[in-house]
Amino acid sequence: MTGPEPVSGPPVPDPVLRESLTSGAAVGLTGVLQVIGDPGGVIYLSGGEVIGVKTPGAPSLEVLVLKSGRVPDDGWDAAFSAAAAGTAMSAELVTRGLIGAGELEALLRMAVADALFVLACGYVDQCRPEPGPVSVLLPLDPPAPVGELLAEAERRMYVLAASPGLAGYQRARVSPAPGVVPAETVLGGGRDELLALANGRRTPRDLAFALGRGVYATTLELSRMHTDGLLVTTSHRAGPPLPAPARASATPAAPAPAASQKDGDPAPDSAGTGGLPARRRRGRHSESDAGADMSMLLRLLRPRSSGD
Amino acid sequence: MSSLDESLRRILAVDGVRSATLIDLATGMVVRSAGEELPALPSAAASLALEAQAADRVQGPLRPGGDLDEISLVTSERLLLTKVLDARRPGEGLLLFVDVDRARANPALATLRIGQAAPSVLA
Repeated sequence: MTGPEPVSGPPVPDPVLRESLTSGAAVGLTGVLQVIGDPGGVIYLSGGEVIGVKTPGAPSLEVLVLKSGRVPDDGWDAAFSAAAAGTAMSAELVTRGLIGAGELEALLRMAVADALFVLACGYVDQCRPEPGPVSVLLPLDPPAPVGELLAEAERRMYVLAASPGLAGYQRARVSPAPGVVPAETVLGGGRDELLALANGRRTPRDLAFALGRGVYATTLELSRMHTDGLLVTTSHRAGPPLPAPARASATPAAPAPAASQKDGDPAPDSAGTGGLPARRRRGRHSESDAGADMSMLLRLLRPRSSGD
Repeated sequence: MSSLDESLRRILAVDGVRSATLIDLATGMVVRSAGEELPALPSAAASLALEAQAADRVQGPLRPGGDLDEISLVTSERLLLTKVLDARRPGEGLLLFVDVDRARANPALATLRIGQAAPSVLA
């Protein structure tokens, strides 16, 4: 059985999520909002505003900075160890010169918006507010107003719905269009890296994790590449099982999936067929990945400009 | 006050600057904004990001002229300056969009001052 078709109606954030978030904001909730669904996740609130979002559907800040090479692995590990002694992780990253304070704040805002976009256009079975003290490794300071995040998610959904490219983008597995791009051709703009990793098994989410980019930015570029005839959709990942109607609002259909995203690891997709290979620690490739991605390596070895 | 608010206030201190906004180049999202509120800022930011992406692509993948640095739009009343910050990977980075009142500033001097202050926004 497959779940609901993604984005078949008007491009608006999931109403259950919107209502729960808006209610939480109205009462100044401090605590977490468990979002049960696919991909599901956890939204951390302080005084009714969002200080963090965790979901297996979008890369965390850790994945973004490590995969993109902004912060070296050993630097992150050292900051994390020091933060375990009681100092703030953000302060550790900044004082060690690993990242600027402004850049860190900007990246956190972008990561939170991306994660909320993923939740908003996903399938939400239930939202469960849990008031109480909140602990987030890298909290957004100052927090993001709920209204702004929902508006941004809606804008993104509208842009993607209006794009002629990728249909059913949340689950579309993509691969290079056969014979369109000769091996020696440099496309630039980050498209070479996407083409190299698009192996017919990965969804936009999987590519975002692999490259350390936001899911929306990755999906948007894939959609443009699709329109330009560079990519084709090979299949769609299966959706979540439909909840039984009588139980839908009474009992969670599944445990909160966000808990499985530890250290920035992408969780396996709910169908288990995944676009993503085995779990990775902090965004590092596994050995099996390295073998499977030989074609990617060959592509990346092609001569390119320094800007690429 | 957040780091970005503090940084953007330094841009606002330049003569003639009405507002300063940080925009995600890849998504067009308004990351942070300071100064006078612009009407329809989110849609304007999305358009600016598209414009920057288009300007960058005009050069082609090999970029013989180098990376995109800034885009200037001049109207009879305003100087609208978009500086590219932190473009470490193609198609990604942050844009600093600054709205300058030409009646209160020399556009060339404002461009120079903003250019000098821009790198510290993300520091």
